[in-house]
Amino acid sequence: MEFGITEHIIRFSHYLRQKGLSVGVKESLEALEAARLGVILDANVFKYALKSIFCTSEKESRIFEELFAAYWQKKLEKGQKKILDHRERIIRHEHKKASLLFLGKQNTEKRTESELESQSITGASRVEKMTRTDFSKIEEVDSEFLEALAQKLWRQMNQRLSRRFKLAPKSGQVDLRRTIRKNIQNGGEMIDLHRKKRKKRKPSLVVLLDVSGSMDKYSLFLLRFIYALQGNFERLEAFLFSTRITPITDLLKNKTLTQNLSLLSERADFWSSGTKIGSCFEDFNRHYSNHCLNSNSIVIILSDGLDTGEPEILGYELGKIARKARKLIWLNPLKGMNNYEPLARGMQSALPHLDVFQSAHNLESLLALEKYLENV
Amino acid sequence: MNISELETIEQIIEGFESKGYVMDTELATIVFLLLKLQKPLLIEGHTGVGKTELANQLANFLDTELIRLQCYEGLDLGSAVYEWNYQKQLLTIKIQEQSQKTEAEKERHIFSDEFLMERPLLKSIRADKPVVLLIDEIDRSDEEFEAFLLELLSAFQISIPELGTIKAKHIPFVILTSNRSRELGDALKRRCLYYWVDYPDLEKELKILQKRLPHIEEDLSMQIVQFVQKIRKLRLSKTPGIAETLDWAQGLLALGKKELDPATVKLTQGCLLKSSEDAELLASEDVRKFIENIP
Repeated sequence: MEFGITEHIIRFSHYLRQKGLSVGVKESLEALEAARLGVILDANVFKYALKSIFCTSEKESRIFEELFAAYWQKKLEKGQKKILDHRERIIRHEHKKASLLFLGKQNTEKRTESELESQSITGASRVEKMTRTDFSKIEEVDSEFLEALAQKLWRQMNQRLSRRFKLAPKSGQVDLRRTIRKNIQNGGEMIDLHRKKRKKRKPSLVVLLDVSGSMDKYSLFLLRFIYALQGNFERLEAFLFSTRITPITDLLKNKTLTQNLSLLSERADFWSSGTKIGSCFEDFNRHYSNHCLNSNSIVIILSDGLDTGEPEILGYELGKIARKARKLIWLNPLKGMNNYEPLARGMQSALPHLDVFQSAHNLESLLALEKYLENV
Repeated sequence: MNISELETIEQIIEGFESKGYVMDTELATIVFLLLKLQKPLLIEGHTGVGKTELANQLANFLDTELIRLQCYEGLDLGSAVYEWNYQKQLLTIKIQEQSQKTEAEKERHIFSDEFLMERPLLKSIRADKPVVLLIDEIDRSDEEFEAFLLELLSAFQISIPELGTIKAKHIPFVILTSNRSRELGDALKRRCLYYWVDYPDLEKELKILQKRLPHIEEDLSMQIVQFVQKIRKLRLSKTPGIAETLDWAQGLLALGKKELDPATVKLTQGCLLKSSEDAELLASEDVRKFIENIP
């Protein structure tokens, strides 16, 4: 009998691992020990015990309940199976090659005169031109060049940002512990003072990206930009929104961006539909802001502010975000157009809450963000 | 309660209930494992659902001391683990100025136990009997502190450069709580048993209320709990927890109320709703529909 249970628990651990829960040997051993303590006499008690050992979050706890029922009662209903299949699909997605920059861009657009022009320019002037070209006007042919250039510029900026933290002047409060130790030889006279300073905290960054309509190109480029800089932030949280809001933070944590992209497009099935900015922010405030906003966060919103919802809601919800965060930055690619005035009603109600209102339509304007991201 | 005498989960449920803490089988199972496997327990859940109270009651149940560490942003080892008593050290150096002791002896003296100030973590592993260590709101501390804690929870020893390594005399029973204001590291989570506390259902909340306030009349307590259960379904910015229910019930008792009516609710809603938006939201609803059996 004893052997039977041992084997069952080990098989169950394997089953959980297959279904995506992170169950290791250590957990299996603990489950066995728990069983030995007598928690297997009652089915519910047994379930609770295993749950507390195998799970590490509310979400996992809920999945566990389903899996437990499925395994021990051999009742894998269709609904559950669907969910499980979905999970598996996410876990073993295929590695696809895709350029983030041009995801969603179609080849069929006709070349305009200015674009033809940009192709023939070479060398330094090409670099200069490229940093100023609107993302939506860049041709497929130039994409590689632009990507390489962007990578290089971002790397430089990354280095500048991180170095500046290290060069902070040495001052701060006296470190009594070291000082006393050093000054025993002086009979307790404090001659050499040792100082310590609290390590400067990196800000955390929350990015809300509009992926509706014409915004996706800009959003993707900004995402790419943020991704390159993520080492400079304590935490990075990202969300996509159009008619509703979806967190994509977990996708940014994976190592390879190309893998993420295929997942990203799967997740954002609402990509490029209408925009309800106000109600998306309301959702954000309700479900996510406690989790990821504090006095140390910078919030970046990228959107054209063309809202089909009520502008009052937008203003109200944005005010809530502004009060919680340290800095609120709104990037609007339309601002890059010559004579743009923020007349859209949504944009009007948003303006009073913003610390920075800037364009983000080309490489140059993204690089200009640097000054807002340092020394927060 | 002696751990070696503990054999069944019912013993835990009874033990806690006799002290006025209502416990379901799930939580009792986890407490059983916490005591038997000596693994730390991580409790997550909304505010006011009794996370901290569990640690209090556990100490009560085991008849031992509760040592509490409240985490906050910027919590450092000086306030969590130990610190040297600098003033005393300085005075001692002064007094010993004329003594014949060598420098090394002087150093050894001022960095001895006598000058060490224990903070919660050190205190918990140096206690003479196993204590309950509550690490409250771990999500508020920095990631560096979390890393340190991980080390402590696996080895139960602390090294102090001037004194050497201090091993735990008894491994404390550790409870960590988190409000999920940030995601904790995987390593820390995996070292712990995990329990997600949700808002209680009607039956459980009623039981808790009656355990805590035995003098309350049955009708009133039923009305209170039903009211709270209903407004939890509204889209409030701060959903009231059990702590709020108890506060409210106490307030109503103090006012000598025997039953709920809309006017009373209006007067006392400050016990339940902690923001002006929520108060407005409730005002916009018809309060009568949340009250059962209006006279």
